[in-house]
Amino acid sequence: MKIKEAVLALVLMAVLFLAACSTDAGEETAGTNADEGNDSGDVIELDFWTFWGSETRKPVIDKIIEDFNNSQDEIRVKHTHLPWGDIWTKNLAAVAAGDPPDVIINDINTVKQRAVNNQVENITEYLDEGMESEFYPELWNAAVYEDDIYAVPFNTDTRIFFWNKDMFEAAGLDPEQPPATWAELEEYAELLDDEDGGRYHTIGFLPNYGISQDIWMMNATGQGFWDFETSEPTLESDKAVEALNWARDFESRYGLNVIQGFEADFGNQQANPFVAGKLAMAIHTPTGMYTQLRDYGEDINFGVAPFPEMEEGNGHTTWGGGFVAEVPYGAENPEASVEFIKYLTGPEAQEYWAVMNFDNVANVEGAEAAAQSDELSEKGQEVYQLAIDNMDNTILTPYPVEAPDMMSLINPELEKFRLGDQSAEQALENAQSAVEDLAGN
Amino acid sequence: MSIWNKSYYESVKVKKRMSNTIIFIVLLAGSVLLLSPIWWMFATSVKDMQEIMAFPPTFWPNDWYWINYPETLKAAPFIRYTFNTLFLTMIAVFANTLANSFIAYGFAKIRFKGREVFFAILLATMMLPAFVTMIPHYVMFAKLGWLNTYLPLIIPQFFGGAFFIFLLRQFFRTIPNELTEAAKIDGASHFYIWARIILPLSKPAIATVAIFTFNGAWNDFIGPLLYLNDESLYTLQIGLQVFRGQVSTQWNYLMAGSLMVLLPVIILFFIFQRYFIEGMNLTAGSKG
Amino acid sequence: MKKKKRGLTLEQKEGLQGYIFILPWLFGLVAFTAGPLLFSLAASFTNYNITSRMDFIGFDNYIRMFSSDSLFWISLGNTLYFVVFSVPLTTIGAVLISVLMNQKVPGMRVFRTIYYLPAVLSGVGVYLLWMQLLSPNTGLVNTILSWVGIQGPAWLFDPNWTKPAIIFMSLWKVGGSMLLYLASMQGVPQSLYEAAEIDGANPFRRFWHITLPMITPIIFFDVVTSTIGGFQVFQEAYVMTESGEGGPANSLVFFNLHMWNKAFVAFDMGYAMGMSWILFIIVFILTFINLKLAPRWVHYEGGK
Repeated sequence: MKIKEAVLALVLMAVLFLAACSTDAGEETAGTNADEGNDSGDVIELDFWTFWGSETRKPVIDKIIEDFNNSQDEIRVKHTHLPWGDIWTKNLAAVAAGDPPDVIINDINTVKQRAVNNQVENITEYLDEGMESEFYPELWNAAVYEDDIYAVPFNTDTRIFFWNKDMFEAAGLDPEQPPATWAELEEYAELLDDEDGGRYHTIGFLPNYGISQDIWMMNATGQGFWDFETSEPTLESDKAVEALNWARDFESRYGLNVIQGFEADFGNQQANPFVAGKLAMAIHTPTGMYTQLRDYGEDINFGVAPFPEMEEGNGHTTWGGGFVAEVPYGAENPEASVEFIKYLTGPEAQEYWAVMNFDNVANVEGAEAAAQSDELSEKGQEVYQLAIDNMDNTILTPYPVEAPDMMSLINPELEKFRLGDQSAEQALENAQSAVEDLAGN
Repeated sequence: MSIWNKSYYESVKVKKRMSNTIIFIVLLAGSVLLLSPIWWMFATSVKDMQEIMAFPPTFWPNDWYWINYPETLKAAPFIRYTFNTLFLTMIAVFANTLANSFIAYGFAKIRFKGREVFFAILLATMMLPAFVTMIPHYVMFAKLGWLNTYLPLIIPQFFGGAFFIFLLRQFFRTIPNELTEAAKIDGASHFYIWARIILPLSKPAIATVAIFTFNGAWNDFIGPLLYLNDESLYTLQIGLQVFRGQVSTQWNYLMAGSLMVLLPVIILFFIFQRYFIEGMNLTAGSKG
Repeated sequence: MKKKKRGLTLEQKEGLQGYIFILPWLFGLVAFTAGPLLFSLAASFTNYNITSRMDFIGFDNYIRMFSSDSLFWISLGNTLYFVVFSVPLTTIGAVLISVLMNQKVPGMRVFRTIYYLPAVLSGVGVYLLWMQLLSPNTGLVNTILSWVGIQGPAWLFDPNWTKPAIIFMSLWKVGGSMLLYLASMQGVPQSLYEAAEIDGANPFRRFWHITLPMITPIIFFDVVTSTIGGFQVFQEAYVMTESGEGGPANSLVFFNLHMWNKAFVAFDMGYAMGMSWILFIIVFILTFINLKLAPRWVHYEGGK
């Protein structure tokens, strides 16, 4: 009995081992073939890492790669998709070991930081003169460190205002007229609340859903938290204090219980309250909100507008992020890598990506073509066009190299203020000095 | 006298039946609590995305999309991944039960100079968080030319791990020394005592190590992710990540996949339980 | 003379065999573990940034930690809070459950499987699932509390309740330790129970005087390893606080989370490695105390 078991286990292991070996062997032969090709025809193989493995995004990027591979015969790109987040840990280890991929998609806000730490190649010399003008300037600037270019922007996002037209009508508001200022926003929200003995069926608006206090501060002041000219944090200002107080007063109308319950219910990346008809107005990314409305909220009759102004004339400043294509430090063929990056960020590939994923792209020509594309519905075109127009109002907040993790010091202070443990002035003062300390070290 | 005796045993029996009923009810209530998250996973796995996105979330799915399961399997070469994972897991179980029990015997049953110091070093290797040593490890395996192979995931397993060595040492030390001393007087070597006396007496402990190792290797995510580049070498846990996106997650496929991956673990545990049946261990028997 | 010499060689022989048994581990230690470990110690005295920089800076990292990093102390406090509550609670919980699981009750194999299940579930999905369960209005936990008339807190959104929520989650996973205790209970001779039963000892006394002493080696193991593990709590906070920001008002900034942010957000790996060695010293001291106290309460049937 025992011998039988042991033999069985051994046989099973042997079979598994053979199975594994045979595939290894198969890959090796494939590998040598590629090498041979390299010798004879000078084909350069590029490893391209992305986190786009989902059934919606993978086919799109694979098609772009295929088109590139077919467009010439010097470079062949091989796509590997890795999980979101972990992809960059793996890249870091690979750079440290001197064996990185050839091209990777990475966070736009941390390009400068990677540049200063030698994690990414300086690609200035391989880029064409005047390429800069093809991209939204705020995005391009994020990829520049001390006048050298380290990456090319691929996609981006922004925050715009969505409102539910049917709810506006039911509350006696003009469904075609979104609030233009914070005061109007507050006024409308009150009219749109649908409450019954402390239980809300519908909430008019919540300043901390989809965005958070820092974006209200930026909307008020028109700038981020760091001055790249003087290398100093710029947290303290009267307008920032006003923004923080406004957002908290707004929330206090509902009370902490309602707010926290709401955040918990909708904080797990599943249901979206605007799509579910629980929220009448929301600030969100065009890509995230529109695709959900398109796929899961057919009956929601909505409009889009820029971020409301603090007061008339103060500006619609809003915030965005995005991703870049870059060459990790130590990659073998930076020139070939950049060739591929140029294609990836060129108008044709960018338009295709934009239309297929309803995603904001970094290339101006590609983005504008996408907004006119017949592939999008009329509503889709409207939202996309507004997203593009909104790029003028959108600021990015790249991490300063002196204090890359400054948000981990700022957020808790803002949070403490929000929970009523300190005043807005105090919160900003604490945050300012904490970041100064961090940068000073 | 006999009548008294009988009623005594009767009352013990009744008491036992009563306490067993109470235990049964307590365990049942606990099971419901523990299973509710699993139910939630299952319910999500058969919903369509429309229903998953709905608010409030439905406890009982409105429509049952069994098709999610075959669809999940189509999203990645999961059969390939299953074989890869199984291969790695079997080796891990084999290597860990063998190596750790061998090493633990040395720590538990043989006196040698510096044993306590070595044991302290052993415990110390558990105390640094893995991600601090992750990059140096990676660079080391890169220098060895082991990247994109299974070697970094397999070879270290044959040299034991602190957690299991410590665990087995504890188990081995509960085995009475008379047993090993008697064998020694008969001229048995330590190797013989380890293989023929200690291992057979420690089946529940070895089974525990086997189960833990199986789970660990089966669910390992960061190891395969770091060291493997070829998608054909990927494991199930990496495969499951295709459903997790930056903007949106395919919750139904993710949950269906997670449940399917969980199934072999449950079956294995169910089978291995025969080593945990009360009185299985023969310590008492062989002692007498 | 001769006899004495032979006696010595016997002892030496015995000792040599000991080294042979631990040789695989020693080899693994030297080949795979020691290098990265010592590297991290050395790098903690540098400004190592993983990819390009590694200059000796003396004790700067350590000085900064203790003098100007407020999050260092906050994270240490949070971690201690977690360890102090989760280690005893999970140990007691696991022992109690395994005692129940060691009874002859119908369906025990099924029960054991169910109680073990949570320990096997892994991945991000589980943590997101907990966010749903702990949701104040619609979550299952507060729904059940409301049946007995308790209004549950906002758990992951109220700084006072975030850590209890995480501890609660760790209790859900005691099935793993349950397995250890079950395995060790199989080593308790049945004859002891039978003798006690005839003496009329009630179940509680049987547990206290027979079962408990016999499983002390595993309780010791559980306490030591879960203390070590408790100080490394990370994943829960990382996933549940969105990109590792540390939860409301820093209440979930655990030591390892702060270390992770220093290492992989700020690329200040030298500093993170310094932090890890501070953690190492704390845990080592605690383990040492545990080892020294062990002879007072841990009972080994096999003697020394």
